[in-house]
Amino acid sequence: MNNPVQPYPCKILGVKRESEHEWTFRVACDARPQHGQFMQLSIPMIGEAPISVSAQGDGWLEFTIRNVGKVTNVIFEKTAGDTLFLRGPYGKGWPIEQFQGKHMVVITGGTGLAPVRSMLNAFAADPGYVKDVTLICGFKNEEGIVFHNELEAWKSQFQTIYALDNDAKEDWRTGMVTAFVKEIPFADWGDDYAVVVVGPPPMMKFTGLELVKCGAKVENIWMSFERKMSCAIGKCGHCRIDEVYVCLDGPVFPYAVARDLVD
Amino acid sequence: MSYILNTQQADQVLGALAQTYGVYAPKRFANQGRYSATDCIRYDKVTRASEIVWQVKSDYPAKEVINPIQQAIFYFTEDEYRASKCKEQPILIFARPCDINAQKIQAKIYAGNGGFTDMYYERMRERVKFVLMDCNGGDDTCFCVSMGANTVEESDYAAAVRFSENGMEVQVVDPELEPYFAGCPESAFTPAFVTENELKVTIPDLEDKEVRLALKKHPMWQEYNARCVSCGACTVACSTCTCFTTRDVIYGDNPEVGERRRVTASCQIAGFDQMAGQREFRATAGDRMRYKVLHKFHDYKARFGDRHMCVGCGRCTHRCPELISLSATINKVNAAVEEIKAGMGKV
Amino acid sequence: MNRDINVKKMRLNCFRQSKVPGIFMLQMRVPGGTVAAKYLTYVEHIADTWGDGTFHFGTRQTFDIPGIPYDSIPAVNAYLEQYIREVDQELCGADLDTVAHEPHPWDPKSGYPTIGARNITGCIGNYHCICGNINTFELARKIEPIIFPSHYHIKINISGCPNDCNKAHMCDFGIIGCAKLDYHPERCIGCARCVNQCEHAATRVLSLNEGTGKVEKDPCCCVGCAECARVCPTSAWTRREQPFYKVILGGRTGRQTPRAGKMFLNWASEDVVLGVLKNWQKFSAWVMDYKPEYLHGGHLIDRAGYKKFKEIILEGVELNPECLVAEDIFWHETEYRSNFNVKPMSMHHKAGPQS
Repeated sequence: MNNPVQPYPCKILGVKRESEHEWTFRVACDARPQHGQFMQLSIPMIGEAPISVSAQGDGWLEFTIRNVGKVTNVIFEKTAGDTLFLRGPYGKGWPIEQFQGKHMVVITGGTGLAPVRSMLNAFAADPGYVKDVTLICGFKNEEGIVFHNELEAWKSQFQTIYALDNDAKEDWRTGMVTAFVKEIPFADWGDDYAVVVVGPPPMMKFTGLELVKCGAKVENIWMSFERKMSCAIGKCGHCRIDEVYVCLDGPVFPYAVARDLVD
Repeated sequence: MSYILNTQQADQVLGALAQTYGVYAPKRFANQGRYSATDCIRYDKVTRASEIVWQVKSDYPAKEVINPIQQAIFYFTEDEYRASKCKEQPILIFARPCDINAQKIQAKIYAGNGGFTDMYYERMRERVKFVLMDCNGGDDTCFCVSMGANTVEESDYAAAVRFSENGMEVQVVDPELEPYFAGCPESAFTPAFVTENELKVTIPDLEDKEVRLALKKHPMWQEYNARCVSCGACTVACSTCTCFTTRDVIYGDNPEVGERRRVTASCQIAGFDQMAGQREFRATAGDRMRYKVLHKFHDYKARFGDRHMCVGCGRCTHRCPELISLSATINKVNAAVEEIKAGMGKV
Repeated sequence: MNRDINVKKMRLNCFRQSKVPGIFMLQMRVPGGTVAAKYLTYVEHIADTWGDGTFHFGTRQTFDIPGIPYDSIPAVNAYLEQYIREVDQELCGADLDTVAHEPHPWDPKSGYPTIGARNITGCIGNYHCICGNINTFELARKIEPIIFPSHYHIKINISGCPNDCNKAHMCDFGIIGCAKLDYHPERCIGCARCVNQCEHAATRVLSLNEGTGKVEKDPCCCVGCAECARVCPTSAWTRREQPFYKVILGGRTGRQTPRAGKMFLNWASEDVVLGVLKNWQKFSAWVMDYKPEYLHGGHLIDRAGYKKFKEIILEGVELNPECLVAEDIFWHETEYRSNFNVKPMSMHHKAGPQS
């Protein structure tokens, strides 16, 4: 009988430190997840955690992990050559075919950048896929900044606004991401745009409200959720909100669905 | 074929069945109740008919046989995961209609949701045959008729029994069981179903999304902040609740050897929705009660379409240490919905 | 009022002297503090017929009826016969024709034969209470024939659980109902509700092993309250069928040296508790040289010393394997008058046979 929760071993190819608490692990794996899907990372004796795929290439996947829990703490002790266990990919990713040829807006808070990173890299690698990209990334403070190299590289290809919540930084803005939503020229784009938002729950809630206030249409907005999961296959119940299971129906939801979900 | 067995014959037949099947039934555990000098009735292996408690409903549901409170799903040795094995022995579960119907609900989640079939559920379920216990009406917490869970089809059970002080009457449906009754006196027994409970519950109409959103914000849930202690006894006792958590365990002092366990979880217990380093989404007992009640009486049906996620077995009410009645809660939901609809001009 | 009444004799008959000469208060025994409610009509009848129409809950759970004139006492005692027979003789099996187990024929019209031992008190216990571990009044009814009637005094309080609502710590011989618990790890979901309850309401002996998700226990200091079993949502903690008892010794109130009792026995079986109490008369008799005085048990232990007490009280008692006995006890007394124990040798109390 097929066992959908059976993890398989994968070698760690390299570890990159993004910030003090966020590290990226490159793992040998043949899976080709959709942008925005997640995998279950599994470590024997420790447990499992759902982690979004932050980049992918031929025969490898990257996971950017914040060391906050039991599982992730142990992952931080791993180095190249060690084994991680994976299962997945799971869930629904970004509906990238719906973004094709449109003005693309990506708004992230903190490590919320990870679930859109592989999609942003795909846009960067294939400049004609979307019309243009407006990228608004907010971080709590200087220490919280991740993907320094990419942030720098994207500046030349995307319309970027990088901001720290309260602190000042050269060439960066100061304030919450919601403060910059009004600068997005939705009025000029007609219906020809798509917005994705990822970050902590309050950030997504207020960004959604601000987007609608600034003229963005609810149908053109998507969000990615993060919830506790034990199984990632719709059995354990931890990630259920109303009649949806984040592991099956998400993590990416149209805003029309997301805004009415009540935990 | 149907038979009538005296207590001695019933014990003999059950003893013979227990040679082939793992026979599980409600059993009395003396003095193991919540309070001193009270008993606990829960499912366990039996080898004699006289061990089976049929006079009153069990404190804990039949689901425990199929989804044990704890089970190993993987064993580890160094860097290897090996899925736990399952016994081959077929299983007979003595259960009332509520418990049998509950498995139809559990199967929607375990063996269907999202296109994934859980191996651990399925391999147990495949081994199980039910012996329908003719229900004598349950108690004043039961409302199976309101939930349409008072009856089952003949295809749902391998045999049906009605116990009495003098033995039992049996209708054998599954030919595999026939030989065990060879030579027993025949009878015309067919099972009867409860047609009316003392308790009747009106299912709230939560079809309207606006009404539902208003209900979630309704002050009725605050009552439970002061009353409910978030112990989870209701969901553990629930015939249909499926939630679990996985937990890795190291054996003794050797960190290279251990297992991954599946352990029953409860949305009523603090931390159910809490991710590492983050705040809970449902931080109050009222939030958790609202989440549970809406799952039972709206969300499950909205997803799976056929029925609500409650068989009216009443065990949640029966086991609640704070005497919170689910049927009273549903009545409060109904009142709140009326009020909300009136406010919206939707009556 | 000019009366010549032997008030000590009245006291032995359970009639208490009042401020008004010749007016007495009856104290009716209620072993374990529970009897059939129908006996309240007896109380009402006595109070209305011979008393002043009032009724008081005795501090030792007796039915107290004040305002009874001396001349009415024979009538009251005659009326009491049925109550004494039904409660003490039939319900408890007390042999009213003995005093301290020596033959002493009882005149059924004469009321209570002795005031000792004092009424056994009890909380409602597991007859009703969600915390109780034992049936307090059933135990009281087993103890009653062992200690009553007697001129040797002992105050026994029974509490159904270690919360000790009935103050086993404040009497000569306090009995606390305890449970030994079984843990069923296969039913444990690791919710730690028992751990929290033990921390907040008991002795902090439980902890959640984060590695296994199971609960661990320091059996040394478990107080036996069974709160873990009461709060567990899955019945992973259950009480063993056999009840156990703590015996708290030598507590008392009083003008001189009030003190809380200390643990004498832990995890004693019912047989041990009853066996120990069967030695009570023998111990009291020895201390007082076989001449009963109106003196409570704690004082007798003081006179004999704990070690002598232990020797006599455990004589012939077969301890159950779980039973632990205090090797020594150091009470902590409130001394209202500092160093009041320092006094002339002639004022010291005597213990043991006097020549």
